[in-house]
Formats: sequence, C-alpha cells, structure tokens
Amino acid sequence: MPEGSILSDDFIRELINVGEVDIVVGVPTHNDARTVGQVVQAVRAGLLKYFPRERTAIVNADGGSRDHTQDLIRAASISDLNVASNVHALRTLHSISTQYPGGQSSGAALHTILAAADLLQAKACAVVSPDSTSLDPEWVERLLRPLLRDGKDLILPVYRRHKFDGLLIRNLVYPMTRAVYGCPVREPYPADYAFSASLGSQLLAQDIWTQEQGRTGTELWMALTAIVNRCKLAQAFLGTKARKEDAPADLVKAMRETAGTIFLSLDSYYSAWSSPREPLEAPCIGCQPTVSLEPTRLNRKRLYDMFKFGVSELEPVFFSILSTATHEELKRLAGMSEDDFSYSADLWARTVYEFAGAYHKAVIGRDHVVQALVPLFRGRAFTFLTENRDTSAEQVENNLDALCQSFEREKPHLLEQWAERK
Amino acid sequence: MPGQDGLWYKDAVIYQVHVRAFYDSSGDGNGDFRGLAQKLDYLQDLGINAIWLMPFFPSPLRDDGYDISDYRSVNPTYGTLDDFKAFLAAAHQRNIRVIIEMVLNHTSDQHPWFQESRSSRDNLKRDWYVWSDTDSKYKGTRIIFLDTELSNWAWDPVSKQYYWHRFFGHQPDLNYDNPQVRDEMWSIMKFWLEMGVDGFRLDAVPYLLEREGTNCENLPETHGVIRELRARVDKEFPGRMLLAEANQWPADLSAYFGSGDEFHMAFHFPLMPRMFMGVKLEDRKPITEILKQTPSIPDPCQWCLFLRNHDELTLEMVTDMERDYMYDEYAKEKGMRLNLGIRRRLAPLLDNDRRKIELMNGMLMSLPGTPIIYYGDEIGMGDNVNLGDRNGVRTPMQWSGGWNGGFSEADPEMLYSPLMLNPVYGYQVINVYSQKRFDHSLLSWMKRLIRIKKTNPVLGRGSIEFLYPANHRVLAYTRKLGNETILVVNNLSSKAQAVELDLKNYRGNILVEMFGRNIFPRIGELPYLLTLGPYQFYWFRLRRI
Repeated sequence: MPEGSILSDDFIRELINVGEVDIVVGVPTHNDARTVGQVVQAVRAGLLKYFPRERTAIVNADGGSRDHTQDLIRAASISDLNVASNVHALRTLHSISTQYPGGQSSGAALHTILAAADLLQAKACAVVSPDSTSLDPEWVERLLRPLLRDGKDLILPVYRRHKFDGLLIRNLVYPMTRAVYGCPVREPYPADYAFSASLGSQLLAQDIWTQEQGRTGTELWMALTAIVNRCKLAQAFLGTKARKEDAPADLVKAMRETAGTIFLSLDSYYSAWSSPREPLEAPCIGCQPTVSLEPTRLNRKRLYDMFKFGVSELEPVFFSILSTATHEELKRLAGMSEDDFSYSADLWARTVYEFAGAYHKAVIGRDHVVQALVPLFRGRAFTFLTENRDTSAEQVENNLDALCQSFEREKPHLLEQWAERK
Repeated sequence: MPGQDGLWYKDAVIYQVHVRAFYDSSGDGNGDFRGLAQKLDYLQDLGINAIWLMPFFPSPLRDDGYDISDYRSVNPTYGTLDDFKAFLAAAHQRNIRVIIEMVLNHTSDQHPWFQESRSSRDNLKRDWYVWSDTDSKYKGTRIIFLDTELSNWAWDPVSKQYYWHRFFGHQPDLNYDNPQVRDEMWSIMKFWLEMGVDGFRLDAVPYLLEREGTNCENLPETHGVIRELRARVDKEFPGRMLLAEANQWPADLSAYFGSGDEFHMAFHFPLMPRMFMGVKLEDRKPITEILKQTPSIPDPCQWCLFLRNHDELTLEMVTDMERDYMYDEYAKEKGMRLNLGIRRRLAPLLDNDRRKIELMNGMLMSLPGTPIIYYGDEIGMGDNVNLGDRNGVRTPMQWSGGWNGGFSEADPEMLYSPLMLNPVYGYQVINVYSQKRFDHSLLSWMKRLIRIKKTNPVLGRGSIEFLYPANHRVLAYTRKLGNETILVVNNLSSKAQAVELDLKNYRGNILVEMFGRNIFPRIGELPYLLTLGPYQFYWFRLRRI
C-alpha cells in the first residue's frame, strides 16, 4: 500500500479496468459470507432491471475477511468471460473488491468506497449493508433514481421496523437530528443509502479520515454534513429491514457511533445549529407505515436494573456532567419501583443536551462522557418499551413525535450549555 | 481475368454499389454501366478487388430493383447487355471481380411468369408461385416489412386466390417445390456465369420454401435447394462464389455453409448491430458475445462483414432490450426508423466522428471475414431520412463539388434521387475530388487501410483468438495464419484507456505497428501495457527478431 493512500496498487489497477461509470454501489464487509452473496445478487438484479444502460460497478471495501466474502462479491461480475445463462445485460458489470488497511472500520470502508466512486467519476453512489438480506432489486432504484433523475444529493432510508427495533435511533439520533439541525430524517445513521458525486467529493475532501468521525459513525457524519450544508435530501421507503438476530448488542460501541458523532458535530457545526434556520425538508418517496407490531419478547427488567446500577456507580461522573437538577431527578428515578418508573421525554432531552455540553467542554474524557450515557439510555429505553407496550402503530408514532417535540422545546437548554462556556 | 485462386473471396475487399447511383455517363439522371466502367480506375485506386452490384435487371423499381421482371437482361436505364459485358471485361482487366445479385425468392408481380400464373388457375405456370384459397396457411410465419405489410398473403382479384409473399405484396414468392422453377433459376444463373460473373449474392435465401407448422425459415428443404445449386456451380463453374443473404442468428446462419457444400460466404448479420452497440456502450461485450456464439464454419467458407449497406441497419437479430437501446442511441428521430431497423449511413450514425469511423472500419477489416464497403462510405457520405423507404441511403455518389456533385450532367430535377445538399454531408463538402487532394482525408486513409488489409492474408484467412483484457472498453484479439500473427487492439471508448494485455504466449516478440511500421517494446514476462487514445486502434505484426 503506498504511503498515505487507502487504495492499493492492485485495486487502482482494477479501477482502471472499470473506467468511468455512472453508478457505484458500495458494499462494506467484514466476514459477511453468510449474507453478502444474496445481497450482492439482489443489487446486481436491481442494476440490470432499473439501470440497464448505465455504466455500473459494485465496489466492495472489505475489512479483512477470512471467509469467502470477497469471492462472493467478485462472482457478481458480468463480463464476456463470466456470463450467467439467466442474466441478460447490455454491458459489462464489474464487481470488484479490495481490503483496506488497518482492520475493520466502517469509516475506512466508506472512505474506500468514496475514493473509488470519485476516481470512477460516478454520478451516484449507493452503499448497502452486507447483512441487508431483505434488500430487493427495488431498493437499488429507490435509492439511486432520485439522485440521477431529481438531482438529490443524499437519499436516506426509511424502513418498516418493529416498534421496539432501533431504540437508539428512535430515542436519540432521530429526535436530536430533527430538533437540533431541523431535519426530520428517520434514519440519519443509515446502513443503506445513496449520495451524489458532489456530496461524495465534499466528504472525501474533509479532513476527517484520521479522526474519530472518519473511523466510526461516518455515515451519520455524512448525513449531518449534508444537512448542515443544506444539500437536497430525500428519504426512500425500503420496506422491512431484516434484523441481524445473532448480532451482539454492543451498546457502548453504538453510543460512540451515534451520540459521539452527534456531539462531535455540534462542535464542528455550531454556527449551523445555534441560530434559527428554516427546517430542511427531506421528502419521503413511496413512504408507507413504518411501524410493525409483531409480538416480541423483551427483557425490560434488565434495562431497569442496569439503569439503577449505573446511576449509583457513576455518580461522580454524573456529578461532572449533569446539572444538579437533572442529576437529582435521575437519582429520584433510580429509587422508584419498576412499576412506577418513567424517564420522561423532557428529562431525557435535558439529559442528552447536558451530556452534549459536557462533551463539548470535555469536563472529563470525551469517550467517558459518551460511555456514561449508556446506562441512562437504558432507563429511557425501559420507559419507551413500557409506554409503547400495548399501543398501536399510530400511538407509537405519536409518542415518538412527542419525544421529538421535547427535544425541540429543550433546545434552548442545549444552547445554554455552549453559552456557559463563554 | 483475375487470378485462379478458388478461395479468392477470402482475401477480397468488396465494394457494394448500385449502378444507378454511381455515375451517369449518358446525362439522363441515372447511373449506368458505361458510367460505372469509367469509374473503375477510382475503384482500383481505392484498392477494392471485388464489386457487388445491386440488381440491375429490368424491373418496375418498386423495391429498388429487387422486384425483377426479366432475369436475363439489363434495365435499359442502366444500359444494355453489351454495356454490362464491357464493364465486366474492364473490371476483370483490373483484377476486380464482379458479384451480381440474384433474387431467387420472388419476382416482381410484373414478371411474365407471374402474369401467366395469375391468368388462370390451370395455367402451366400456375404452380410457379404459391397459391392458396385461404390466407390462413403458414400462420407461424413472421411478417418482415412490418411497416407496410399486414399479411404474407395477398389477394389476387384476377384468379381469385391468395398468393404468398414474404416481402412486399408486389413481390410474389416463387414455388421452389416445383422442379421447373429450380431448373429455370439455375438456367438464369448459368446465363450470367457463362458471361463471366464471379459470383452471386443470393437474396433472401431462408424463405425459399414453406411448410405448415414451421416459421417457414431455414427449412431443411431450403438447404436442399441451395445444395443443388452449389453442386451445379462447382461442377460447371469452379471458382465462382455464392454469397448468402440470410438475416438469421449465428447458429441458423452457419447452417447455410452446410458441410462446405452450400454457400461459400454468408453475411454475419448479428455482428453488425453489435459493433455499433459496442462503440456506443464503450464495451466489447456485445461483440465478443456474438462471436462466441458463432459456430465455426467449414474451412473453405467465410463470413462476410459489413457496417452499412443499401438496407436499413437491421435490428432483427438483437434482443428487445438491445433494439430499444439502438433506437434510442442511433435513431432518435422517428424518421430514421424503418421496419425493424435504422435507415442511416455510416458517417451520420457515428456522428460524423472521424475517429469512430476509422475504428469501425478498422474492426471491419480485422475481424474474421471478408469486408464489404458500401459505396460512398469511403468518403463519409451522409443520408437523407426524408426520402421514402431506404432511398435516403441510396443517393448519388458524390464525385466533386461541381454540377450534380459530378454524378451526372443532367438537369438536377432529372436525377433519380435528390443529391445531398446539407452543409455537413452535401456534395460541396463531401466528395471524392476534394478528398483525393489530401493525404489525411478519409478516402486516403481508407486506401491505406485497404492496402494493409489486402497485403496481409492473415486478416482474411487467419484464425482469431480474443485476449479479454480486464479493461472491457478494449477489444483485443490476435489473428494467426501459419507463422504470421497480428495483434489488434481497439479502444471502444471516447476516453483514453490503459490496458494490460496477457501476451505471455508471445514472449520475446517485438510489436511492429502496421500503419507506421514503428517498433514497440518487446513482449516480456509482465502483462504488456498499452495506452490508447479515444477510439484509437492498433494493428501490430508480431516479429521475433
């Protein structure tokens, strides 16, 4: 690997062979052989069905897979040497793969895909998750068409999720993006999304790739950058998102990627959120109800216990981070019985904003700030599950909207955190 | 007479011309044989060594001569039989062979045979054509001229039966189940062969016979008729050539070679649109795919390759998706479309882009087969889609910027067709005279290309092996014959390309570029790196020195 480059010489050679394209579909992977074959075949079918005349390429950025992930990606190529009898394509379709240096990192994967798309002069680039097994060919069209036809810059997904799926997105990322940046996108931290050449180049040129937001939560950073820069956004309804049932829930990691990235963005984009701006619209294309209600088993008790434990264990940390009023309120909550426990939306919004302020002021190590939010989030998640246990899809939406309104109402509290510094 | 090599057609460069369109010696507004003979020096200088003449027989000209009313004569507009003989002798004197058209499948409805046949149901020639009481026979047969014909049957009000026609209604199909018809057509061919013609282009051969329950194309019985004709040619006129016009898929097409006992040559119809597709897509896939699907053919046989001809750029042998693509890319205006094809000439199809014209001609001359150049394409003539049918690609040859483009001394309104007048393709701009003056003109370049092609038999007779470099915009292949190897590398893209070629089998050879004869680095252990400009192509001779 040449010094200072994320692209190997071999990969550059592959890019030369691909040449200029109209569309790149990026697939970041790491030991995804179990699912990626299905995903990449659906992507290929989507490209052939909806973009048969466009020059397209599938670009895999792999984090060091030891299974045959890369082989499965390459097998999707269509060329005069490699023609499946049931596939009819006007053009060659290259499906290429590279391993980026430094081990698995979603940021490095995106960096690789961005660099490849830039070198290939792609007009539009979609990125799909290697475990999106519910991906069907229509996703490819829904993600890419608005970029090519309507001149949009970023297409974020809207999934139909179970009402208890994506708790961190629903309770923190979505409300905060909507309240702070004025953009109501349902999935600001997307797994499947698409962006224009112009937005891709903008992000590629940013000096983030050796920093935290260039390593984790980079997709969220991209969405926030697009929002801050008033890019043309749209959301595409993609239907049900398959859940990775066996995925270990590393909440600390997830918190770093989400809250950590948003908190960091507040520093970088202070001028964009601190003064009043027109809300940024992100119309949803083909939207349908987004909440599903299948019965599910959840261990709420564990969330409650871990909240109580965290409030007690991390008291000195919270002392540095939270205002006295908020801290006291949380301690009072921790003393309540499970049946009476309710972490209100207003209190949760104030909590998050005070954490953002602490992060900004670096009252303790920033990563510690983010980690300390984890047990409190569990408390909020407990309340969310309780509130929505027997509700209809519409009621879930209403509750979510009420939560967002709390974040919006409390926004002055966030501004105070910055003002205090001055 | 040209040389006696029985396989002469494998090394030929054929020039397709319509007598009417080439040069008018009499000043009546129509080209003629005396005019064509006068222009043989031009053709000799161009370097071609065979001429394919479109139909010149007496005809009502409702299908540009493909509706023949007398097979043993010359349409008086083009001269006399003696004029033809004089032209033939003059061509042979210049080592140029002459291939004429033989429309076997049908005649004009004005042909005396048909007039007799329709005169009554018990006429002796009744059975020379295909008659029926109903129009429901052979239902599985497609209609070829979709824009004008609703059925393959036409009602004859005289004898009150339907007659079968695969093309226009005024072109009744002959009945090849009748031995008299087969004998008479052979007798006609013999008439011309005895005069000295070197071969026939047999028109519309897949449709000679009809059988219920089939699509009436490529029938075994049709192949039987062809074998019979071929045997007669071989026996009585060895060294003469039969060329098939069969617009079919490769597998069906190759059947027309039989086991070397049917046609000597056949047009490779499916390849042609895919060459245009490949250049527009900037992707070699359509070209390599169709050539991979093309079965090998018996040794003495040869494909005939062309870029454009007197017909529309036929899109019958492509998929629906490919056809839509071709229409959208090459025939944006509805007027450019005809039947299942595109009625345009080479230069306008390629946006008058000299680089693309050169690339396409380079492929035409280097892919396996005998190339055909359509008259006027060697100077980049344009078309006039406002003229009806396919007449827009049959306008007078543009010899100079003078009166009627040097084609005729007649008053312009007497010309058989309007001249091209527009500022891009008009005769004032595009003509032989002006292009002869400059070494860099398309005409001069074509002469060089043809010279190189002709002096390298490997391009006519050699085998082909595709190289499949990872860069799909580059079409690369080797042609081999004995110890001779030529490497051809084509950049189908509008952008410069780098390509690595796996030439390890030729390690140690030096590449000699065949147009400039400059040497390129020796082939070593590593993949051979070449860079090509937009639409550039190279022909290299491999030399071990």
